Amino acid sequence: MADLLEALLHRPNFVVFVTLFVWGVYIMLIHPNFVKKLIGLYIVQTSVIFFLVAFSAKSDATVPILPPETTSVEVARYANPLPHVLTLTAIVVQVATLGVSLALVSAIYRKYGSLEEDEVLKRIE
Amino acid sequence: MIEQLPVLLFLVPFVTAVSLPIVGSKYVSWCRPLTIGSVSLMSILAIVNLVTVLARGEIRYVFGGWAVPLGIEWVDDGLAAVVILTVSLLAVISLTYGEGDPGAARQRSPALYFTLILLLISALTGIVLAADLFNVFVFLEVAALTSYALVGAAGGRALVSAFRYLILGSFGATLYLLGVSYLYVATGTLNMADMATRLPALMTSSSVVSGLIFLFLGLSIKMALIPLHGWLPDAYSDAPSAISPILASSVTKVALVAWLRIMFSVVGPSAEVGHVPVIVLLDVLGITAAVAGGVLALAQVEIKRMFAYGGISHIGLVLIGVSMGNATGFAGGLFYLINDAVMQAALFILAGASLHYYGARTLDDLKAVRERSPWMTGALVVAAMSMIGLPPTGGFFGKWNIVLGALQAESYGAVIAVLLSTLLTLAYFVKLLGSLFWRAPSPTDRRLEIPKTLSVSLGALAAAMIGLGLMSDPIVGFFRDFAQRGGL
Repeated sequence: MADLLEALLHRPNFVVFVTLFVWGVYIMLIHPNFVKKLIGLYIVQTSVIFFLVAFSAKSDATVPILPPETTSVEVARYANPLPHVLTLTAIVVQVATLGVSLALVSAIYRKYGSLEEDEVLKRIE
Repeated sequence: MIEQLPVLLFLVPFVTAVSLPIVGSKYVSWCRPLTIGSVSLMSILAIVNLVTVLARGEIRYVFGGWAVPLGIEWVDDGLAAVVILTVSLLAVISLTYGEGDPGAARQRSPALYFTLILLLISALTGIVLAADLFNVFVFLEVAALTSYALVGAAGGRALVSAFRYLILGSFGATLYLLGVSYLYVATGTLNMADMATRLPALMTSSSVVSGLIFLFLGLSIKMALIPLHGWLPDAYSDAPSAISPILASSVTKVALVAWLRIMFSVVGPSAEVGHVPVIVLLDVLGITAAVAGGVLALAQVEIKRMFAYGGISHIGLVLIGVSMGNATGFAGGLFYLINDAVMQAALFILAGASLHYYGARTLDDLKAVRERSPWMTGALVVAAMSMIGLPPTGGFFGKWNIVLGALQAESYGAVIAVLLSTLLTLAYFVKLLGSLFWRAPSPTDRRLEIPKTLSVSLGALAAAMIGLGLMSDPIVGFFRDFAQRGGL
């Protein structure tokens, strides 16, 4: 038990990631309100992006841009750009998903006049 | 020119999709011909592509001249060529059917509606071709977002179904992304071929194993594998009638193809997780899906939902076939996948047409139908034969090879599951045909005339189902060679 706690304390990033992920899934499953479900989904997606950023962090490293006069490259001095690019793409995908889902939610609201799932399901019958 | 084929296949629908909102806002009547034309051009290219791949072997395309593993690579092999040809031809047929569908004509902005369809088709092409795990993620999301919007296009009840589909689908995509990140952390690469060389040494690492599990969970939501199928029946039965055939015939199948690519070319068929071979786990999941899907289909009273559960059970059959660990089962599974795409297109076109022309949504409504169309009845009988698996339709040869593969692997549970799911399919089609022929024909019954576009698309699909059966030998042989080269 003490070992586990120690391991967790050494990895605060991952504790935050898991907390956010589980919290988001909980909101998504439990909440009957459509917008709150979306917030849950958004938290889940953000937690994964946080994970990508967390593992790509590197101390004492700089942006991977080489000035033209560079002659020798010390790999250890530069951060790996790929995870950041992945993060950017994932954020774009996330924003697009949010756009489509908000459009759907607003269409549901215009049609059924409610955002509560049970309320809407009652009106569909 | 030939080496640009993979990208052309993607660009033809994509460029049309991007230009359609501009052209279509002014010339509304051009939208449908342009869409059908573009997808037909894509089908012709897909045929050229298949012939080229058969003659020359796989085409590897590297973007922007950046060498792998740093650059992004697309691999156009036999499996990809066949799947793209199937998807594009079925899209042409489904779009032809959509011509006569009143739901599509009611769309307020046809240009955007067709843009979504074209984007969906180009994204599916991307999923099949991409040999880069992150690239697959992006295309999965493009395909998923367009599907949500297309399901929601029906309005009313479909909005809620589309929303549920979105929540589950995006959660699946997030799990997939998480899996990709885990694998990237462990291997430092995203290219499939490069990862395949690094993974075997790392299969004991818990981050690789959990990464693969997340990846598989994400894709199982996308392919509607039981018990993660919850979104599918609602989404496909509430979607516009012209859309369900396109979605049902492609989206889940392409997600399954993406998993097969990862499973067989990255992880390798002999991989084990904690001393349990991965293919045994797949086999169990496939058996569950095949049987449970059949039982659920039998319990339905709504026609579209019945077909939707039928499709879910067939995903299980394909998984059973590919997880036998031998070339026969693998070839049978892939052949069944192609057949399933054709059958799902035919069934959802029939369900859409019966809703529109017969006014029948449920099995009970069918009993009251007085004017029947011989075209629709004929196509339904052929589709039923293929679904149940009677020769000479393609469904029979698919199941036959799956069973042969299972016998060769001495996996009798799989044999029983295939037979059981066949019996269940027989049962629900007896229920369906029983409702259709509920009353004895009376002299007052009239023949229902259906539009040319509908009879053409039904005729083409029925011909395809029988044609696949007659051509099964070369096609299964082709897949068997593909599997053997892959090391099965």
